[in-house]
Formats: sequence, structure tokens, C-alpha cells
Amino acid sequence: MAATLQTARTPGSTVNEAARPRRRGVSPRMGQLIQIVSLILVLVAWQLSGNFLNPILISTPSRIVSDFGEILLNGQLVQAFVGSAVEMAIGFGLACLVGISLGVLMGRWRTAEHAVDPLVSFGNATPTIALLPVMEIWFGLGLAARLAFIFVICIWSLLINTLAGVKNVNRGWADVGRSFGLSPFESTRRIFIPAAMPFIFAGMRLALAQAAVGMILSGQEIGETGLGGLVENFGSFFQTGHLIASIISSTALAFIAFWLLARAQAHFCPWIRAMSARR
Amino acid sequence: MLDIVGVSKTFETRDRRVAALQEVSLSVRDGEFLSLVGPSGCGKTTLLRIIDGLTDATSGRIIFNGVELQGVSREMAFVFQDINLLPWRTVVQNVEIGLEGRGLSKRARRQRALQALELVGLETVADAPPYTLSGGMQQRVGVARALAVDPKVLLMDEPFGHLDNFTRENLQVEVARLWQSLKMTVIFVTHDVDEAIFLSDRIALFRTNPGRIAEIVEVDLKRPRWEYNVRAEPNAIRLRERIMDELEVRKLQLA
Repeated sequence: MAATLQTARTPGSTVNEAARPRRRGVSPRMGQLIQIVSLILVLVAWQLSGNFLNPILISTPSRIVSDFGEILLNGQLVQAFVGSAVEMAIGFGLACLVGISLGVLMGRWRTAEHAVDPLVSFGNATPTIALLPVMEIWFGLGLAARLAFIFVICIWSLLINTLAGVKNVNRGWADVGRSFGLSPFESTRRIFIPAAMPFIFAGMRLALAQAAVGMILSGQEIGETGLGGLVENFGSFFQTGHLIASIISSTALAFIAFWLLARAQAHFCPWIRAMSARR
Repeated sequence: MLDIVGVSKTFETRDRRVAALQEVSLSVRDGEFLSLVGPSGCGKTTLLRIIDGLTDATSGRIIFNGVELQGVSREMAFVFQDINLLPWRTVVQNVEIGLEGRGLSKRARRQRALQALELVGLETVADAPPYTLSGGMQQRVGVARALAVDPKVLLMDEPFGHLDNFTRENLQVEVARLWQSLKMTVIFVTHDVDEAIFLSDRIALFRTNPGRIAEIVEVDLKRPRWEYNVRAEPNAIRLRERIMDELEVRKLQLA
């Protein structure tokens, strides 16, 4: 016993060194190193594959970078990126507005729930791609159809999750509202909606992923525009390098969207992290 | 002042009917501290909720100052066993909740809320989030929330049930002091007989299956009761024995 204590106090050795138990596996820093090294190895292997594989198949990092530069400089990428981003934002935004409002209404008003429920079951179950031609028939072959498609693809997650959130509000909190004389509307506004926020944001995350898919798909099929249009175009001409660059750009757009959503949650509902930590 | 007349409550589930309360009648005196005491399942919480309007009675009436109550009254405030502070609001915002929707300005609301927090000694944590407070502090916020609306009747549902013994004893004294200085009527639900004896003017003893009042006893002990050891008082000991007999004998008979 005394010996171990003395080791801990020997000058030159930190207390941590002596106190830390033998760990299984790798340290975090080693883990990061392995990640970087393996990434580099993949890129190198990829690049070398171009020497004996037809570049049409998977292209090479160097080609992708130069193709990326090309479509960036000639404005194609920027135009497509911005166009897609705007369409996704509008489609998603409208879906949030309608989906969340309906979810709250249905959660608080039984009649509304009974009335809209069949529509939700039907709409949620329908394979969304099948609705593409429907959107074209109803809204024409342009922007309106694309927005409608994005709207329809992601509204269900928003509605269903919001509904679940409102109906699952802690009974005690609901009691607080009633006990202090808040009207049903006031209770909805001051208690049910804030309480349902974790569910609502979860629904928004799901819907955002769906909106991204809808954005690409509608860009491909309706008017060949935006990032989806680039994918469609480069794909059909076997310009794999440009194609991969476009796909990576789409991924980047989705990442940015998710990041923005996370920032929004942190800003408007900082209590959610605190709540989940407590439970 | 407050009359509970023939209140019954039956809960029906798919497989059984539970007679939580059967023909309970009780008159509450103005300004008194009345405890409802009994084992779990005897309906005391249900009765308190019916008085507050949170639960509907199957039959019977609640008459408050001559008027039959339909639902919630602005003159009554409830303190919950689970405390139920809203985590997305700060302490003072939680206390304000009863004052919202009444046409008060934001500043006036905050003013009243801060005053209520002062009553329980928590004005210093007014802008803190509730999860940073201990259980005892949170429940004091719950009490402040109820006091903020200036109620004539304070309904407390086993408010210290989830707290440790030390905190519970401190809060019992705080409640006793508040009641003494604010002079309102308190109806207090607890299963802790000593707590009831410490705090109350009268204690209503409940039986279970079905829930009903067996007896109402007067607590004839000097006030203020925090200035001496109530538990050691012969009168208190006798009272405690009598209450335990009333409650325990029933338990044995059911077994």
C-alpha cells in the first residue's frame, strides 16, 4: 500500500499516470489518428485505382476535385445549390407550418384528430415517389410541383411526431394549467407546445432528411434543375467525376441544414438538453 | 365556508370499478388548517382534486361560500406532490403562471411573483432554471406559485412526500409559519400522522375500500407548535395513539 502511494508522489511522474487504470483498447487521440490514416489510405487507393479502372466507374479524387472546381467556377454548382437550398427551405418550412399546427390541433381537439386521422394513415403509408406524377398533374412541370412534392414527402413526420408529443405531455404539467385556471387555448400555448418541443424537433429532423431526398428527386424528375438536375444530367452523360462532385454538394447541403436545425433548437429551446440530461 | 356534500367518485376501468370515495361530507371552517389523513388508496388525494376541480365527482357537490363550484376556482390554489415545475421556465416564470391571462402587465406579474418567492425565501434564485434547485427548494417554488394567486384556500397534496426527512421537517415549519401569518384556509393531504398533528387544527381520518371519512379529530395543542417539541407532549402522544388505532385497526380487519 505504502509503495503505491510513494509511486504516486515521485517527482517526475504525474499523479494521473499512477492513478489511471490500465485501459482496454485505444485512447481517443490514437482513435483520431487511426481515422485520419485510414481516410488517407482510402483516398490513395482510390486515386491509384484510376490507373487500371475505367474512370467512368468511380473516377478518382483528383478528377473529382478538378471537376468540382470546374462546375463551381462556371456558376453551375452555385446556381444549382442555391436553387435547391431555397426550394428545400420553402417546402420544408411550409410543411413545418402546416404539419406542426395540425399536430397540435389534433392533439388537443379529439374531433380534429378523428377527422384527419384517416388522411394521415393513408398519406403516411403511400410510397412518396408514386406521388411525383400526381404533383406534376396538379401543379404543372415547374417550381410549384417541386415544392408540393417536398411538402408532401415530409409533412407526415412533422404531424405524427407533433401529435405524439402533444398527447404525451406530462399529466402533472397539464394539471398545473387547469388548476391555475388557464383556458384550454392558454394551456396549449403555454404548456402543451413547449412541453412537446422535444418531439417536435425530433419530427423536424426526420422531415428534414426526407425533404433533402425530395429536393434531389424533384430536381431530377421535374424540370431537371438544382442539384438533382445536375445529378440527373451528369449521370446520363456518364460524367462520373462531375456526378460525384454534385452528390457531395448535396450531402454538404443536407449537413448544413441539419446544423442550422440544431442551432435553432439550441437557441429557441435550450432546456431540451437540460431536460434529457436530468432524465 | 367550504362544504363537501355527499361526494362520491367511482373509477371504472375495463376490468373493475373502484369506489375511491363514497358519500363523503365535510365542512371546512374559515381559516382552519385541516388535514386529510389515511393509508394510500383511501381517496384523500382524489377528494382534494375534486375540491380543486381537477377531477369530477361522480356525484355530490362542493359548495364554496354559498356557491356550488363547477370546475376550477380562482380562489383555490393547488400544491402538487410531484411539484410539477415547468422545466422550460425559470423559477419566477413558473411562479407567474397563475397570474397569466388575467390582464396584469408583465412587470406587475413579475412583481407579484417575486413577492411570493420572498415568502418562501427564494427570491435570490428567481431567474434560475428549476433543475438547478434541490427537491426541497423546488417544492417551495411550488408553494410560492400557489401563494402568488392570493388564494382563499390552499390545497396541498402530500407536498413533502418525495423529500427527505430533514427537508420535510423544515418545510413543515415553513408552512406552519406561512399559514399563521397569511391566515388562509389550508386543506392538507398526508399519510404522515405526526406531520398532520404538527400542522393541523383538525384531522379527518379516512378509511379505504370504499374511501370515506371515519372520524374527524380536533388537535388541541398550543400554537405556535414549532416553539416546543410537539412529539413529546402527552396530549399529542394520546392523540397519535388514538389516530393510529383508528387507522391501524381497520387495516388489520381488512387483512
